[in-house]
Amino acid sequence: MIRPRWYKVLADLWGNRVRSSLVIASIAVGLFAIGIILTLHTILQRDMRSGYAAIHPANMEMSVLSLRTTTLEKVRGVAGVQNAEAARVFNLRAKARSGEWVTITLNAFPDIKNKKINRPKLEEGNWPPHKRQIAIDRYKLDELGCNVGDWLELELPDGSIRTMQVSGVIQDQSIGASGSGGGFFMAPAQGYISADSLGWLGQPEAYNQLYVAVADHAEDEEHIRLVADRVRKTIEKNGGVVLSQSVRASDNHPNSSYTLAISNVLIVLGALVVVLSGFLITNTFQALLVQQVGQIGIMKTIGGRSQQIIAIYLSLIFIFGVLAFALALPLANWASRGLLKFLAGQINMELQEFRPVPAAAFLMLGLALIVPQAAGFLPILNGVRISVQEATSGIRQTGKTSRPSRLEQRLLHLRRAPRPLLVSLRNTFRSKGRLALTLITLSLGGAIFIATFNVRTSIDDYVTRVGKYFLADINLTLERPYHVREIQKSLEALPEVKMVEGWASARAEILRSDNLVADSTTILAPPADSPLVQPILLEGRWVSAGDHNAIAISERFSDILPGIGPGDTLRLRINGQETRWTVVGRFQLVGKSGGYVAYTSFENLNRTVGYANRTNTFRVVASQPGLTLQGQKELGRKIESYLKSQGYNVKEAAAGLTLNENTTTGLDVLTTFLLIMALLTALVGSIGLMGTMSLNVMERTREIGVLRAIGASDGKVIQIVIVEGLLIGIISWALAFLLSFPISKLMSDAVFMALFDASWRSSFTPIGSVIWLAAALLLSAVASILPARNAARLTIREVLAYE
Amino acid sequence: MHHLDPQPPPCESESEPKALIQLRQVVKRYRSAGGEFTALKGISLDIYPGELVGIVGKSGAGKTTLVNMITGIDHPTSGEILVNGVAIHKMNENQLALWRGRTVGVIYQNFQLMPTLSLLNNIMLPMDFCGLWQRRISAERALELLRAVELEDHAYKLPSAISGGQQQRVAIARALANDPPILIADEPTGRLDSVTAETIFQIFIRLVEAGKTLVMVTHDESLACRASRVIHIADGQITGDSRPRGEGEP
Ligand SMILES: Nc1ncnc2c1ncn2[C@@H]1O[C@H](COP(=O)(O)OP(=O)(O)OP(=O)(O)O)[C@@H](O)[C@H]1O
Ligand SMILES: [Mg+2]
Repeated sequence: MIRPRWYKVLADLWGNRVRSSLVIASIAVGLFAIGIILTLHTILQRDMRSGYAAIHPANMEMSVLSLRTTTLEKVRGVAGVQNAEAARVFNLRAKARSGEWVTITLNAFPDIKNKKINRPKLEEGNWPPHKRQIAIDRYKLDELGCNVGDWLELELPDGSIRTMQVSGVIQDQSIGASGSGGGFFMAPAQGYISADSLGWLGQPEAYNQLYVAVADHAEDEEHIRLVADRVRKTIEKNGGVVLSQSVRASDNHPNSSYTLAISNVLIVLGALVVVLSGFLITNTFQALLVQQVGQIGIMKTIGGRSQQIIAIYLSLIFIFGVLAFALALPLANWASRGLLKFLAGQINMELQEFRPVPAAAFLMLGLALIVPQAAGFLPILNGVRISVQEATSGIRQTGKTSRPSRLEQRLLHLRRAPRPLLVSLRNTFRSKGRLALTLITLSLGGAIFIATFNVRTSIDDYVTRVGKYFLADINLTLERPYHVREIQKSLEALPEVKMVEGWASARAEILRSDNLVADSTTILAPPADSPLVQPILLEGRWVSAGDHNAIAISERFSDILPGIGPGDTLRLRINGQETRWTVVGRFQLVGKSGGYVAYTSFENLNRTVGYANRTNTFRVVASQPGLTLQGQKELGRKIESYLKSQGYNVKEAAAGLTLNENTTTGLDVLTTFLLIMALLTALVGSIGLMGTMSLNVMERTREIGVLRAIGASDGKVIQIVIVEGLLIGIISWALAFLLSFPISKLMSDAVFMALFDASWRSSFTPIGSVIWLAAALLLSAVASILPARNAARLTIREVLAYE
Repeated sequence: MHHLDPQPPPCESESEPKALIQLRQVVKRYRSAGGEFTALKGISLDIYPGELVGIVGKSGAGKTTLVNMITGIDHPTSGEILVNGVAIHKMNENQLALWRGRTVGVIYQNFQLMPTLSLLNNIMLPMDFCGLWQRRISAERALELLRAVELEDHAYKLPSAISGGQQQRVAIARALANDPPILIADEPTGRLDSVTAETIFQIFIRLVEAGKTLVMVTHDESLACRASRVIHIADGQITGDSRPRGEGEP
């Protein structure tokens, strides 16, 4: 037989199951959110590193002109090199199931069976692909629309068609590692073939790409650069030319900036949710304990000392905490698992076997045990301190008997307000401490919800803004360079074409003052003052006509050349030749995953590299403004067939918006993720709101009975309660709206800092606020009606016996 | 082992019986928004063992305030209160709670049972709080007390499942849980019909016969004059103190 005082604990727990469920749900939902946040944060960081290191990634990647097999052998012997592999990497066009021709990068490996570096993970089918077979990376598989066993049509540069069988689907985490071509999200579909197939595809059996893994210090990029310098010298001694070089530590996944951004958001959200659930729990226990004042008085009358009574309630809270933890832990692990799977697929990382994160479980347990106790302690102490006489005197006096505040008086004198509204108003403002706590909880939850929408909009805004680097309708690539004026004349004859620009481009190695290659950059060279680029300048200015060797660099340059800015000299090696440029400005592009990009003018690059006014890339602007993606694609097809009829060989005629789309897919991952987080906070907020409202109404069960006893109809009673619920809902919404602005700023800074090391203007969208308004009104009404209906159903005798 | 059985009767042979409850110049002043209000204006009173004291007076006279002084539920503004030789006005809340649990059984007009506990547990709770709880023995004693108020069949019901008169009997049983020498009842029959009130009063008489000292606030003059002593309170002062011995007794 257990002691009667513990029996009371159990009776409180079991006796009012609805109330207990509300309390447990309120605690659990906060724990749940925190569990998810910490688990995601930990596993994303950990698995992205370990998952990438596990593929044995290349630490350096070089584009080399005429890389001989004998050179490869020599590279393997270079001090500090553990292993080296060569490949031929080239682009073709593949026919997607939709009938569209899309670019595909083919990676041909000589000894594909024994590939040691950048090991792919087989997802489906077979590895390695045999002669005339192709394996495809899973990420852009949908774009191609093919499956294992299907035949894929490839168009060779001379226009002829070859068909390869898809032998397997793989995951290649190294996509985007070199940063050329804009990183993972900009990379075209990837195919993997054996070098045996090269001749059949009309390609020379010569390698143009070198992958090297270092023997040790694979996490130290400085060390890798030193080894890379020795490798380069070996190549050059053997007659090769290094066109570009990039280095990457073994634990630095190409998309790590996205996990960093996600983690930053998670940290901000986590901190906010900890505060939020702290308030939620405090509020819940305040509500719970106010109902217990009478019983505390009785217990004191019959001999209960403060410690005994406090122990009873702390045990009750302890059990609530433990139950909430037991509920939240498995749910949080389950949800984290699902979210991680989604995110991992989106950012091309490989998850290790899911293991619960002990730190997350401990934090949850700590919060479950400590926060409720801390939150409950003060109300318990207050309850115990209330004199017996006050506690047991039939009518409970909540708080001190103070005069009504001026606000209350003003509210009471709202003459024209209908009666139930008056009663509700008075109730709402009666217990100011509790009201404040409720409002803080609800507004914080709402504000986080609204803020996630604002951050999403900021990212969308940024995406739109980045689009202005890619303003052309068609990006045209020809098989070989032509004189710019020739193509312009030919294309501008078409009525659909308004303007044609010839753009030059080059890959260049960025040289540091110690002559080591820091990394490689893409140089884009539109005509000076081209209207097709509207840069986001961080400092300095854009390249203009008449500038001599002027260059504008993307934000990433600061990572490898700290402090570089306008006026500084930049040394770039293009095709093995060192060139000198004057930096005129720094601009912001798509951040760390996007690789290095620099802009100069066509004239400058033309002069420096000696293209003789020839190029194979052109930007075309349509006569009709504001073309959709579909319209652009149509125009592309038209231009392509037109040029073919004129005897030009077209490599690609891509719609401008596709480029924009690819650039920003990475950011879309973030917006999707933020939406999920918004739903999570909405869940916390909603359950908190429901719980708080319901407890508030339950607390007044007796009062409702009295109202009914003095003649209020059930309808009237429910009306009063709903009006009060809605009132709290509206006030909390207004506060949430205001509070969402600083929180939006905090969160968008966290995202943009992780991606760009720069902040971006915070945007505002009404969507979040509108949804939250609707949710707040709906939830507060529902949360008030249910307990009010229950209260109204009780007989007056039951009500008066109710505690 | 605790029993409802009489304690040794007070020694009547002593020339000067010692007072069990002594109030000396007790003043109670309430401070509220409307200003100060003096509810007790210097009350001095001795209550002797074995007395059944009825306290009567108009509403607002200060009856509840007075008995709250004796139970230690409220503190006097000035004056002294000695119960069984213990100066309770000097005790803090916790000391008072323990002292009260062992020395005074309190019975309220509105019963004040713990709503979520069974009748049996309600009666055992004071034993638990005051360190007199013993596995099995406590339950036996609680059942015994329930039997004494003729409610043992309802032992496992919740208070909301029985009538008001039954609840008051449970409250009495609870007040007796720790076998205190003093019982204080504030309008114990105020919410009951006259027949039920009579059964409650009969229990009180039996308890006094068994040696308890009982102070009962009441509005019911017919009950009051059956007490061994009637104290009249008006406006925070004692206006009458009589011992209508034998009068009105059946
Ligand atoms: N907490 C309090 N604050 C201020 N005044 C109080 C308080 N409690 C009682 N009073 C006042 O003290 C006076 C005596 O109150 P008390 O409750 O003792 O009266 P009572 O004789 O028990 O009345 P009733 O028969 O109605 O129960 C009353 O005028 C009452 O208004
Ligand atoms: Mg009274």
